Amino acid sequence: MAEKYEINQTEVWDGNYAAAHALRQAQVDVVSAYPITPSTPIVENYGNFVSNGYIDGEFVMVESEHAAMSGCVGAAAAGGRVATATSSQGFALMVEVLYQASGMRLPIVLNVVNRALASPLNVRGDHSDMYLGRDAGWINLDAFNAQEAYDMNLCAFRIGEHLDVRLPVMVHQDGFITSHTAQNINPLQDEDAYKFVGVYQPVEEMLDFSKPVTYGAQTEEDWHYEHKARQHSALMRSTRVIDEVFADFKALTGREYKRVESYMMEDAEVAVVALGTTVETLRQAAKELRKEGLKAGVIAPRCFRPFPFDQIAEVCGDAKAVCVMDRSAPGGAMGAMFNEISAAILATGKRPLVTNYIYGLGGRDFSVDEAKRIFKEQKAHADAGHITTQIQQFSGLRGPRLGFFESKRS
Amino acid sequence: MRGAAATEKRGMRELGAEKLVGWDEVTHGVVINSFEGDAANIASLTSEERIYSDFNSYTATVASWRVVKPVYNRDICIDCQNCWVWCPDTSIISRDKQMLGIDYDHCKGCGVCVEVCPTNPKSLLMFIEAEENDSALSQWPEKKKKEKE
Amino acid sequence: MAITSVKNLKEFSTSNERFEGAHLLCPGCAHSMIVRELMNCTDDNLVIATNTGCLEVSTAVYPYTSWDTSWIHIGFENAATAASGAEAMYKARKRKGTLKDPDASVKFVAFGGDGSTYDIGFQWLSGAVERGHDFTYICLDNENYANTGGQRSSSTPIGATTSTAQAGRVSYGKKEKKKDMVAIMAAHGAPYVAQLAPNKWKIMAQGFQKALETKGPCFINTVSACTTEWKFDPKDTIHLTDLATDSLMFPVYEIINGHELNILYRPKTIVPVEEYLNAQGRYKHLFKPENKHVIEEIKKGITETWEMLQRREEARV
Repeated sequence: MAEKYEINQTEVWDGNYAAAHALRQAQVDVVSAYPITPSTPIVENYGNFVSNGYIDGEFVMVESEHAAMSGCVGAAAAGGRVATATSSQGFALMVEVLYQASGMRLPIVLNVVNRALASPLNVRGDHSDMYLGRDAGWINLDAFNAQEAYDMNLCAFRIGEHLDVRLPVMVHQDGFITSHTAQNINPLQDEDAYKFVGVYQPVEEMLDFSKPVTYGAQTEEDWHYEHKARQHSALMRSTRVIDEVFADFKALTGREYKRVESYMMEDAEVAVVALGTTVETLRQAAKELRKEGLKAGVIAPRCFRPFPFDQIAEVCGDAKAVCVMDRSAPGGAMGAMFNEISAAILATGKRPLVTNYIYGLGGRDFSVDEAKRIFKEQKAHADAGHITTQIQQFSGLRGPRLGFFESKRS
Repeated sequence: MRGAAATEKRGMRELGAEKLVGWDEVTHGVVINSFEGDAANIASLTSEERIYSDFNSYTATVASWRVVKPVYNRDICIDCQNCWVWCPDTSIISRDKQMLGIDYDHCKGCGVCVEVCPTNPKSLLMFIEAEENDSALSQWPEKKKKEKE
Repeated sequence: MAITSVKNLKEFSTSNERFEGAHLLCPGCAHSMIVRELMNCTDDNLVIATNTGCLEVSTAVYPYTSWDTSWIHIGFENAATAASGAEAMYKARKRKGTLKDPDASVKFVAFGGDGSTYDIGFQWLSGAVERGHDFTYICLDNENYANTGGQRSSSTPIGATTSTAQAGRVSYGKKEKKKDMVAIMAAHGAPYVAQLAPNKWKIMAQGFQKALETKGPCFINTVSACTTEWKFDPKDTIHLTDLATDSLMFPVYEIINGHELNILYRPKTIVPVEEYLNAQGRYKHLFKPENKHVIEEIKKGITETWEMLQRREEARV
């Protein structure tokens, strides 16, 4: 048996350390990993737990991130709990295997400490890696701070391993701002955390020799479509389990999570949508603006996949202007989340003015002042009754003003 | 009877003739189970003793690939098992060190078994697919004399 | 370990098949001879990982599997890693007591073609062997990317024509020599490394059994004659493999613990390599007068390799 780790009710942990502890407490059977900035400390801390007797499972230090996820898939198919961590380029190298993991319905937990994608090379936080994997068929949970990085990890095992789900889960946290910033954390004691996560239940395991299984068969045009549809259906229907797990987690810890987090949206006239640490910046800005009389609200998809299409529209309420912030270079389109939020709102028949900001690429700071400016800009759209700027703009960018598309709506 | 069921299952379907089911009925995670029921001791069971699942390729046939087929002549065979060890299609049926015959559901007609057969004349010879086995056996060549060089 | 007797073929033939027919490999393909023999030479439970390639695309096409053991295919390059992961999970679960049958013996095996072994999966294999997982990796070496229609690999010998190293008016085919994968794997310090051939069924079966019994990562390169891309009649697979081993184009040997080399097969009469080359379409152009020098080079390579193997065997270092 692994040794019990003495934990105080409040610890000062950064996001990486918090995630590493969550993996330890979940008694993961196999961690197959390769280090990369800024997720490295998750792997290192786990290695420290291994070397000091706090881990019963196997720790496989492979030679690349592609191999890390490959090892995870092989291990998960062998019927046990599996987790790993990566960032950015490592995540990009893993992509092939991410699709394999979800197609095989293997409930692996992957910590993605979000970081920009090269070129040019950059180690700081943005959401390029998260966006790269958004169609990979994984559940994507987003943590906005270190406490949530811990909490989402524990929830991730419960959700992904649920017999009605059996899908891999990514837990995202912002590189450096969350991963390397020590904050007060209230972790669970080891036994409580493990009790919450539960005992792993194998499904179609390769080590059950009474039932040999073939994993990874080829499907051509007569079968592939049905398999992908079944997989998509499982992902779309995982929302029920996600809600249940969040409810159980609240009962245990008092900490409440929703698939879409909203802040002061009940009567909001203007809203800004974002992911990650930016959410806290926006909350601060909205709080201050409320004092000035601006009815500002914040929307944050906690669950990026399955995308909370219906809840987004609900949360938007009667907001007159909604700005969607994408922290990833859009590569010749509107920001991906802008498109998804717009589509969700469109389905309701409501027609707020929806605009898009690209921001924070490569770790560019996003300040409360800039957040306030963006809220005020939304107010200007709302007052004018039309979009007064270009639809896609760039926040915090040096040089001549950059933007695309004019609104034809009046 | 278990054995009878397994034998009936062998080569029961042409590839591609299986029932196409909807998205809600395809297997979880594209996983395929090779057997039905408990298959813990599969290495100790002959094909006849196993309960193959419909997903096992044992239940399919590739007989239509064949244009020529091996015909087996029991009278000459010495049960050396050369054909068994080198058959690439698991189509030589051998039980208790004896060659029983050819599994025509899985044989693709490559002819390796004939080439590796050491008897004189050979105990396996290739014939066109349409030839009846009885007729083929009636045409069996005589023992060849060693050519002196 | 539950070993099947391979003392003689009659005894070996009593083992029950675990690799089923109606797979989609070409008639006469040596892949399935090798895979069948591996699976038949042990009664142990097997967990088999397979790289993308001919074997994989022919043996698990939904809704069929030809595998009577647990089997996994992820990608082109990562069977060694899939086996690593499964083996790690086995160790973890054994320790924690969560295995359904904790007493069942199991062996982990990975298969790959030369494309996935010598080229695209080289790093994954190297990593898995360096980490010391208890598994056996078997390369089905048909010296080209057969699954995609016969392109060159780093295992393709000099002079062979492939679709991406074609013999033509100004080219004799592949210019580079075959990569010595066996030496590379031996240099990893793997406890058992061998090069085996299916025509020598008993040596091959014994080699497989040694690898399965050996704790730690083992690597076996097997010659897998490819009727489609080497261009010979499917019935001649074993005959062609005889020519490969007897011309010493494909010497059969093992290396234990990275240094102890044993030649496992010495042909009574060494067959001139021209016989081997001439039996295959991929080498036909070498018999044109302007390409004679390539045959000379092949011969020189064979002599040098054979000399080296014999010296290493003698030297025991």
